[in-house]
Amino acid sequence: MVHLTIDGKHIEVPEGTTVLRAAQQAGIHIPTLCDHPHLTPYGGCRLCLVDVKGARTLQPSCTLPATEGLEVTTVNEQISDARKFVLSMIFSERNHFCPYCQVSGGDCELQNAAYEQGMTHWMIQPNWNTYKVDASNPYFSYEANRCILCRRCVRTCQELVGNFTLGVEQRGAASILVADLGVPLGESTCVSCGMCVQNCPTGAMMDRRAAYRGLSADAETIKTICTGCSVGCGIEVTIRDNNIIAINGDYDSPVNQGVICKIGRWQSLEAMDSGVAVKTPMIRKNGELVSASWEEALAFASKAIDTTRQSLAALASSSLSVETLYAFKKLFVDGLAIQSVSASEMGKYTNAQKSLAVTNGVFEGHLSALNNADCVVTIGEDLIHQHEVVGFMIKRNLPKGTALICVDTDGSAYGNLPNSVIKINPGTEQQLVKGLIAGMVKLGVKSCACDGCKNPDQVVQDAANATGVESTLILDAAYILGNAQSPVIVYGSTVTSDVDASTLTTIKCLSDMISAEMISVKGNANSVASAQFGLDQPVDMHTAKAAVIVLGDKQPCDELLNAVSKVNTKIVFSAYQNALVETADVVFPVNNWAEEEGHFINMDGTVQKRSQILAANGQGKASAQAIHDLAAQLGFSIDDHWMEALQSTPASVTIA
Amino acid sequence: MMTKSVTTSNLAALQMKYFHQFQQRRIHVQHFTFWGELRPQHLKETRVILQHSGMIDPREIQEYLAVGGYSALAKALAEMSPESVIDEVLRAGLRGRGGAGFPTAKKWQFTRNSPGLPRYLVCNGNEGDPGAYMNRLLLETNPHSVIEGMAIAAYAIGAERGLIYCRSEYPSTIQTMETAIEQAYQLGLLGKNILGSDFTYEMDLARGAGAFVCGEEGALMESIMGRRGEPRVRPPFPSIRGLWAKPTNINNVETLANVPHIILHGAEWYAGIGMENCSGTKTFVVIGDVEKPGIIEVAFGTTLREVIYDICGGIKGGKQLKAIQIDGPMGGCLPSAYLDMPISYDSMQAVGSLLGAGGILVLDEDTCMVDLARYFMEFTQGESCGKCNPCRNGTTHMLEILTRICHGQGRLEDLDMLEWIGEYLPQVSFCGMGQAAPEPVLSAMKFFRDEFEAHAVEHVCPVHHCRMPIHAMAAAA
Repeated sequence: MVHLTIDGKHIEVPEGTTVLRAAQQAGIHIPTLCDHPHLTPYGGCRLCLVDVKGARTLQPSCTLPATEGLEVTTVNEQISDARKFVLSMIFSERNHFCPYCQVSGGDCELQNAAYEQGMTHWMIQPNWNTYKVDASNPYFSYEANRCILCRRCVRTCQELVGNFTLGVEQRGAASILVADLGVPLGESTCVSCGMCVQNCPTGAMMDRRAAYRGLSADAETIKTICTGCSVGCGIEVTIRDNNIIAINGDYDSPVNQGVICKIGRWQSLEAMDSGVAVKTPMIRKNGELVSASWEEALAFASKAIDTTRQSLAALASSSLSVETLYAFKKLFVDGLAIQSVSASEMGKYTNAQKSLAVTNGVFEGHLSALNNADCVVTIGEDLIHQHEVVGFMIKRNLPKGTALICVDTDGSAYGNLPNSVIKINPGTEQQLVKGLIAGMVKLGVKSCACDGCKNPDQVVQDAANATGVESTLILDAAYILGNAQSPVIVYGSTVTSDVDASTLTTIKCLSDMISAEMISVKGNANSVASAQFGLDQPVDMHTAKAAVIVLGDKQPCDELLNAVSKVNTKIVFSAYQNALVETADVVFPVNNWAEEEGHFINMDGTVQKRSQILAANGQGKASAQAIHDLAAQLGFSIDDHWMEALQSTPASVTIA
Repeated sequence: MMTKSVTTSNLAALQMKYFHQFQQRRIHVQHFTFWGELRPQHLKETRVILQHSGMIDPREIQEYLAVGGYSALAKALAEMSPESVIDEVLRAGLRGRGGAGFPTAKKWQFTRNSPGLPRYLVCNGNEGDPGAYMNRLLLETNPHSVIEGMAIAAYAIGAERGLIYCRSEYPSTIQTMETAIEQAYQLGLLGKNILGSDFTYEMDLARGAGAFVCGEEGALMESIMGRRGEPRVRPPFPSIRGLWAKPTNINNVETLANVPHIILHGAEWYAGIGMENCSGTKTFVVIGDVEKPGIIEVAFGTTLREVIYDICGGIKGGKQLKAIQIDGPMGGCLPSAYLDMPISYDSMQAVGSLLGAGGILVLDEDTCMVDLARYFMEFTQGESCGKCNPCRNGTTHMLEILTRICHGQGRLEDLDMLEWIGEYLPQVSFCGMGQAAPEPVLSAMKFFRDEFEAHAVEHVCPVHHCRMPIHAMAAAA
């Protein structure tokens, strides 16, 4: 610990803390522009200058390490004059004529800093250069005329997202932000996660949907979670007048530490903007769907269920809340005792873990293990296009020297980033993992007592033959993996869909050998909960006479539409109009993700609550409530002891 | 090309053998030099690092051996511990020739004591000052003296890997250096078990990509690591966290070229050259309005008058001296009143300038100081890396104002504006470049303010250099 004095206040901070962070911890405000609490200090804008006793000139507090006995002054006339100079330089660089900007009036950190220093004007004329606006990305545009070259976006792209798309071209006054080697953003390697937009201090990076919809000062911000996939990222939703303005990553979330992907930031809103809501319950009369009251619809549905109970199938989306899935399970499995009940993924992402958890208990770790991993093995999962945030967590550590071994049937989705790309024949994951284990034994980096490892040369050779990979490549990967201190193995559906868990057992053996953390991605937002409730059995809808389908706010996939095309009576719970609703016999309007609250269990077992953000309009009910109502109509009552039910079955992750 | 390795025991014999060959050859090739600027030594010059330049063929390592080359390395490896090498250099009083004059031995000590392996040694050959070519000449006429100096420095700091960073605008330098490194490897003077000892030193050449700011230590390291050439946050200093986060020692070409001479002849001999606290010699490139411009090597303590009037033959055409500009594009102008000042790091600091890397620009009475200031600002503005806002924008605005003044469109407030920007840039800029950027302008304004006022207010160039609007010329007439 070091002790320093800032503005007469004695502060104790750990060694390595910068003066700026020390001041912030003590509640002392120092204006900044290029600094961001989650990025490495850069020292480019020079606004955070402070007076250090004994120093020759003013010092930038963002890069100055706190040292014992340092005496710092953050406010005096000299500092204020220097900050005005710094701001004048920034204002005169490009087009900073505030009235035209969407963030002017409170959301712009540059404007706020100028007001704070009491500036009313700047003394130098701007250089009148004009820059093109890059509006080639569908979700955000880059307005270079407002850019102050603080490089927050560049550092965000490198350090948080690991995508390395943004960079600065040219030098000095000609410096300009570019994507890749100067291509438009829309044609670049940008993954549209929008973290740069979230971190931009001015109006240069513009969220196209949120721009000019008002300032965040007179909007409300609610913390909740994204339910786009099983990662369960924390998000902050900005709303005004029952409208969502923007979604940002929540830096306080332990799951994603602020980073979200395009699904969480933009596509969830896109679906909401373009979806046509089901406003009232509907019943098919004389071949046409007509509006009805809830009572009528419930009576119609309960009658249909009662008469077709023997050949009824029920399916719920695994993106629904725990409460909804629990009510669904209680009604159809426990109450009506129907055989064909499942959730939409039917165990694709959870079968193997569930089998192995019966004998092994909890064996999977937390996502945060990726932050400290020095070697990551991905098996059969494309984390560039699915579960992108997990991919970000891996990629952003690569410059620190984290090794990446990518095992997939399609080669590497990571381009040339991995240290080792192992392209295997389909279905040979288990042989490859065996090969890796034997390879480590052969190289002498690890030892294994099992029978399979008695003759490691033979096992490696067998693995090479089966997988179609050269044995040297397996040995290379085994060497990297065997020498890792804190390895992490990430695997996906090719491993997890197997009920026998044979591949997973081998991976578990590998993980025990090198004491690696295991993490599996789990598809939809509530796949874990679905599996815990037993909603993971394969269901054949083709033979059913009637079907109850709880879609929530999801769209039906083609497979589902095909499967239910021959079903006579369809009872659908949906938030939006879609192809399934059009062919349904009874439709119950339910709320979309923003209108109903509920709990979700993410891929590493964290139980998180999604808050209600918008007030529901129309006659839509929360999905759980709609099922409760249907149960009441059928004469069942449903409790809310879902937590006990979740924990009653062994799980591969700690559910807490 | 011989392939047998040189060892401590056969070095002397080889040197003697090559010396005889060299003597015969010397009859035919006198003053072997690529550079017309390197003239015979003037009486007031003291040539230490340039003593063999022009005398030997830089493309043949044998010629360097013939003049006693690599004896210093052999001596250091055989007779001295790394600590005693550092001590020798400390007692010799060698100071960094890059411009700031930091004691070299102290820098080595810091790196040696810093935890983390491997350590790196970098030779900074990114000589970017307009008109300065001291390092280029040294590297092209005697590359092995720098390689030998680097090997000794690497031995002293315990570095096993070394890089010479050479700007790519010097293709012939890169070629010469690459040949020299290859030949040194072939003779076992680089690589494993140098001269039969257990000292290993691997060396390579890194090319710059044409950025002046890459002469700054942080930007240089970023450039070597393949990143954008922008200065790094200091602290941590390179000796703690340098290349690939390992301790790194960065020295100027000329600093390292001095090392073999110190080891060979001893600290006392070296400390006897020059001044107290500022020993040794310094190479300068004298350019501008002198009769005999070119490269010189003088002992510290030589006065500017001796350099300009004796060694370089005085002002061209018998004109009057107006100003001397030292330390390249970011150095200050000195008026002729400072002619009798002895050249040293401390004396320069006393008059508010730095000695710099060794460019001396001599200006006669016909020079327009405003246009000169504009020229230097144009250079700095173009070379600003753009990382920090004050340097990027401050230099741009100063250039804009100076250009305006030189075109006869200035006004009196422009001078206040120049002073305002010039006051803050040194305080708020990220690296030394931005901090020193306004210096040529401020010093010219300090000593020649009347010229600036004539330009800005009366729109007249007193030396009729700047092209002014006709109405202003008519009014002045």
